[in-house]
Amino acid sequence: MSGWHLTPAQAHDYAARRTDEITAMSVEAHLMHCPPCRSMLPADEEWLADGWASLRDVVDRPRRGVVETLLSHTGLRAETAKLLAATPRLYQAWLGSTVVVLIAALAAAHTLPRGSLMFVFLAPVVPLVGVALAYGRGIDPAHTLASVTPMAGQRLLFLRTCAVLVPALLLCTGAGLLLPHTVTAWDAIFWLLPALTLVSGSLLLGRMMHLSVASGVVGGLWVLGLILVSLSGQGVPLGVFAPQAQMWWGVLLATLVGALVFRVRVA
Amino acid sequence: MKLLRRARRRVPSYGPDSADPVLLTAIAAGEAEALEILHRRHAPWLRARLNYRCSDPDQVDAALQETFLAVWKSAASFTPRPGDTDAGAWLWTIAIRQLISQLRKRANRWIGELETEPYETIGDASAEDTVLLNIEHGPLGAALHSLSPELRAAIQATILDGLTVREAAQILQIPEGTVKTRVMRAKARLREALTS
Repeated sequence: MSGWHLTPAQAHDYAARRTDEITAMSVEAHLMHCPPCRSMLPADEEWLADGWASLRDVVDRPRRGVVETLLSHTGLRAETAKLLAATPRLYQAWLGSTVVVLIAALAAAHTLPRGSLMFVFLAPVVPLVGVALAYGRGIDPAHTLASVTPMAGQRLLFLRTCAVLVPALLLCTGAGLLLPHTVTAWDAIFWLLPALTLVSGSLLLGRMMHLSVASGVVGGLWVLGLILVSLSGQGVPLGVFAPQAQMWWGVLLATLVGALVFRVRVA
Repeated sequence: MKLLRRARRRVPSYGPDSADPVLLTAIAAGEAEALEILHRRHAPWLRARLNYRCSDPDQVDAALQETFLAVWKSAASFTPRPGDTDAGAWLWTIAIRQLISQLRKRANRWIGELETEPYETIGDASAEDTVLLNIEHGPLGAALHSLSPELRAAIQATILDGLTVREAAQILQIPEGTVKTRVMRAKARLREALTS
């Protein structure tokens, strides 16, 4: 470039808006390609610090994940979306074991005679176990912190239950579709109503005792019932899922959900 | 997860004396400290220059904030020319466009959002414009003196600030056609003054 550079006085005048138009134009044309002259302009330290502080507020904000962005596009509030997206971290182990158990059940169904019974027994219990692990003192490392937030209590419990139920139901449906005798979609979701009934039963019971204990009780009752039905010699326990039985499951589910809503409203 | 994210983009080593392209690569990889260095280096002169375009310091500050946020988001789109160690021109094109969109937001909300054009380094100017960009040398300063303030403003917005006719019309608040005729007339005057 040429030997023409700003004098310190010119730099100060320019920064203070005291330069006339023509000079300003030449100063600007020069600054565009002369970093040393640019750095001669006096910098207002306080203004710089303020500007950077407010920039950092935005820049340091954690970027939102794919799930969270999708959820907030469906109209959920930002904090609800964040909670739902963050919850699966809490039960990653459960998610992993669910996949393993379902794969084992599928393998049994494909290799052993009447092996699909294993899936039949398991499918309604899988979401229940997930819900039992969704909330509680022993499970959530941040439970003490979470319990004093405005979101704590029933609202947090239900949100987390939803966050557990969706992957659990999806996984079970996927496994159901892969069963050897699955022909219609109905064959893949016969377990849905019993599963939801068990979950809402444990939520209702959870108002009286610890949620994990409640889920244990409900799950135990389910297994006991199946064993009793098998032992009573009335043939296959598949009758529990027959269309007629499904109607009763539906009625039971509606009753339990109604009771749950009623209890929450009253509380 | 954090390790994975970091490994995806290599973060160059940088410091307060690193060249702009190095800093911008680091910013693209998510380094906030690099942005701080860039902010410290470029915010003062951008502010001084924007102050000549807009008398409201609040709007200038808001435009500057938006500028550096845009840099944070789109640092990866900066492609320096070989041997170019300075992002000043690129930053200026972002800054002046952010100022225009600030002014528009305040002035006329009913006209839709300014469609953002891709940020490109200005300077791919015609030979005539290149002459004008060297105002600080030679007799051009005197020639500019002979121009009316309106013609000067038109030249300043289109050539010195690198704006499109449309953007110039927005910042000068005159119709696009007027910008075109003023630029043409101003160039003719300057040519006359420089050749005679």
